[in-house]
Amino acid sequence: MTPEIGHFALALAFALALVQSVLPLVGANRGNLLWMHSARTTSIGQFILVGVAFGALMRSFIVSDFTVLNVASNSHSLKPMLYKIAGTWGSHEGSLLLWVLILTLFGAAVSLFGSNIPSSLKARTLAVQAWISVGFLSFMLFTSNPFTRVFPPPTDGNDLNPLLQDVGLALHPPFLYLGYVGFSIVFSFAVAALLEGRVDAAWARWVRPWTLAAWICLTAGIVLGSWWAYYELGWGGWWFWDPVENVSFMPWLLGTALLHSAIVTEKRDAFKSWTILLAILTFSLSLLGTFVVRSGLLTSVHAFAVDPERGLYILALLALSIGGSLALYAWRAPMMEAGGIFKPISREAGLLVNNLILTTATGTVLFGTLYPLFLEAITGDKISVGAPFFNATFVPMMLPLVLFMGVGPFLSWKRADLAGVYQRLKYVALASIIATPIVWYIQKGGPLLAHFSIMLATWLLLATLREWGIRIRLFEAPISETLRRARNLPRASHGMTMAHAGLAIAMLGMIGSSAWKSEEIVFVAPGTTIEIAGFDVTFSGVERVRGPNYLADRGTLAVSRNGQSIDTLRPERRYYPIADSTTTESAIRSTLAGDLYASISEPATENAEQSDAWTLRILYEPLVNFIWLGSSLLIIGGALSLSDRRLRVGAPKRTSASSAPSTQAEKA
Amino acid sequence: MIFAWMIVLIALSIGFVVLPLAKMSHSLPARQDSTPAVLVDQLEEVKRDQDRGLISASEATAAQQEIKRRILAAARRATSEPMLDYTSGRSALLLAAIFVPLLAIGYYASMGSPNVASLAFVDRQDERIEQRKIAELTEKLYERLITDPEGGASEGWMLLGQTYYRMGEYTQAAAAFETVSKRDDATSTTFSMMAEALIRKEKGIVTPKAISAIDRSIELNPENPAGAFYKAMAMVQLGEEAEAHALLVSHLDSADGFKPWMEAFVEQANDIAKTAGKAPISLADYAPALNGGTGPSADDVAAASEMSAEERGDFIRAMVNRLAERLEESPDDLDGWLRLANAYTVLGEQKNAIAAYESASRLLSGFAASDPRHKIVEQALYALRE
Repeated sequence: MTPEIGHFALALAFALALVQSVLPLVGANRGNLLWMHSARTTSIGQFILVGVAFGALMRSFIVSDFTVLNVASNSHSLKPMLYKIAGTWGSHEGSLLLWVLILTLFGAAVSLFGSNIPSSLKARTLAVQAWISVGFLSFMLFTSNPFTRVFPPPTDGNDLNPLLQDVGLALHPPFLYLGYVGFSIVFSFAVAALLEGRVDAAWARWVRPWTLAAWICLTAGIVLGSWWAYYELGWGGWWFWDPVENVSFMPWLLGTALLHSAIVTEKRDAFKSWTILLAILTFSLSLLGTFVVRSGLLTSVHAFAVDPERGLYILALLALSIGGSLALYAWRAPMMEAGGIFKPISREAGLLVNNLILTTATGTVLFGTLYPLFLEAITGDKISVGAPFFNATFVPMMLPLVLFMGVGPFLSWKRADLAGVYQRLKYVALASIIATPIVWYIQKGGPLLAHFSIMLATWLLLATLREWGIRIRLFEAPISETLRRARNLPRASHGMTMAHAGLAIAMLGMIGSSAWKSEEIVFVAPGTTIEIAGFDVTFSGVERVRGPNYLADRGTLAVSRNGQSIDTLRPERRYYPIADSTTTESAIRSTLAGDLYASISEPATENAEQSDAWTLRILYEPLVNFIWLGSSLLIIGGALSLSDRRLRVGAPKRTSASSAPSTQAEKA
Repeated sequence: MIFAWMIVLIALSIGFVVLPLAKMSHSLPARQDSTPAVLVDQLEEVKRDQDRGLISASEATAAQQEIKRRILAAARRATSEPMLDYTSGRSALLLAAIFVPLLAIGYYASMGSPNVASLAFVDRQDERIEQRKIAELTEKLYERLITDPEGGASEGWMLLGQTYYRMGEYTQAAAAFETVSKRDDATSTTFSMMAEALIRKEKGIVTPKAISAIDRSIELNPENPAGAFYKAMAMVQLGEEAEAHALLVSHLDSADGFKPWMEAFVEQANDIAKTAGKAPISLADYAPALNGGTGPSADDVAAASEMSAEERGDFIRAMVNRLAERLEESPDDLDGWLRLANAYTVLGEQKNAIAAYESASRLLSGFAASDPRHKIVEQALYALRE
């Protein structure tokens, strides 16, 4: 019964979305407040109904109800409970349901918390949000129904891909989707503003918290995915420029640009067109991300759904939403009033450079990601565009951005005093230049680009801290005065400092772990010792162990340095009999200085059982944990900024008197 | 139970659509524009920044002037906004409230499966015990057959193969049939079952090995419907849709009366017809009794529709009598008896209906037990005797 209730709830949600996609919009055009207000309740209704459907599917997964096809193909009675639950969004259909759940969640959130948004803008925004809902709900109901039934049910399920049976990955899609889909509401705001023909400071202020929330989730999603790849895939890398990674990275890049662009729109009434365009493009890339992964266009490590027919449906959806919104943009954007003017050296100009570089970088990633697809479609040739392309194009483009990031926060609005900025930053510049030869000395050489990047990362870190120091008059005023200033500083400022510093720290990790990585792939027999990055690693054999739903070959590696034993690593190779597949569980000795990373793969020869010889892969990645540390700072910085009263409330408390009647009406 | 839940959900959805109606007793401001409020807040922020020494006095003044200009602009725009109407349009909302459940019910009626029960894994203990028993028995049978110095009875291997097939162990099933296929007593069925298992094993792909089994099956007995069915499947996969379709239809044509395999043949033929651009065929053409038989002709219907109630009654009676007379002369027409029984039932002549069904039942005893007409007759007799 439960799955049928879920199915029916989904159908009701679809009908509700249809109503919401028309009525409020017509209401806003005709000035009918009743119709406009219908969006407020229907958006909450949609969320509840999709929530019922999601709950029904999740329950089916938890109790292993194999009369639901989706459960039968993606779960198994022996699977640990956490992964049964995660199985809800592990499949194509389930992940779409999660997608729509988050979509309606954002709609309901705007309805509930956006009490200060003007009725017409809110109605239009929620109507646009409902268009997306209609698209995805119909896609689900007619091509990818998560509630398709089988009777009689199979004896047991078909398991989830064991590669995907991991905590990092169980949490990765929900966060990624919160990010992807979070940008939907920003998109809806942008399209609504175009329909309304009005973009102003207030609009930007309403949009910012949603952008920020989506950006935080997307960041967390990407980091979790990267972290998963790092310790689960057994390759020792954290970013592979895999198309599936790229499609989540592109909305992040544009979302970052959007975040900064919206500040200018709010404070200076400028960059309106930029902000709108970025909002549209960011969500378009999120849709593209869903499309590229869902359609199975890519063959990648993410063993997700493969179905070209569904791909065609999403392609049509994509063409309609992106094409439609861009056409609307082309038509309405030129009518927007020009905003505040600024000099070439000002904070606005700095943020303009930020927009330009991030957009160009996104374009580059997009090109590198889609080029192989187009080439294959046209000529039938299969090529892969990987790290070399992106290292040669994307990285050099981002380095100047880091340079500007250091300076940007020192610039004042409208017209900045370059000499003053130079005065404040000259020691920072000097320190970063000095840092370079020191690193050179410690590492005894290395790629030139790496040293240059280290210099820029140091520059960003120190400049960010310097800006913060100046604001709170660190070491320039008595400590009590500094603390008072730190308390009074808006949280958004602290957030910016944290996020910028986080990026600098993450950069150090990225540079260190890629430029100075040591790697050994060797055949080992018990007793073999390998020397890597100052460690001595001794292999003492492999034993067979039994897990809850797998069998594992577990290797034992004794790690010592200068003759002193410091750790034991136990990498595993797991075999999941039900899914008939094998995964690698690497063992990592993690320190701030770097990770010693070991994984065993194949037995070295066919009859390894006898000879006990295995292929061992050992890596040392210096500073790699700085990546996770820096990324965490990015996320915390974003969250801190989001908690800023000004963003949270949207409009100041003082005005609540003037809007009191409406607030009362909403409560009634 | 499920319908109670559906009603709750429907009520909830309707509630969400009509809720704004309830709020209308409160008057709402024509437009609550918070743009000036945001700007006023910015003004205060500039002042705060100035107090903290974050910006200079001249910067602050410039910024404040700019913000004030924007406040004025926003105020000007607000006064020119049209007034909003919030009394009309109730009917649209009510219409929407009706539309929502109608659409959902309409969709669910065609796509939902309210009759399929949900079965949690823990509640299927009995089923698993049963399956384990079957698996154990199968295992025993296998042991006995494999250890038999004579190689095991062919019937035993066939039974083993069929059991494996039902368990979804297609590889083992194919192997069991294959054992028999190498013997002299292998029949057409042995080969068609082996082909079936091989095809299921490859998830519907007809492999060369399966094709040779199919061919052998047809060679041994060209009438074997399973052989023809899988032959057609193989042909489709080789791109010979037209030939496959012709093969299926010729088998249907040459059959004598209804056979249980016809349904699958018709379905398969119509699947092929879609891609091969042929007209669909109907099961009723080959098994008339299933659809109540051929009714009165179009002329009869046209004539009947122009009659009065009394005339129509006489007309129908005449037709039924005609049929009854014909059956007296040729009592072997099973479908005819079924049609007559049906007609008597409609006319409310219980005794005659029972007699007709009993005649049909006698004729039916010569047909296979799986023939659906057994069921039709049984049910009808049961209902009439109630």
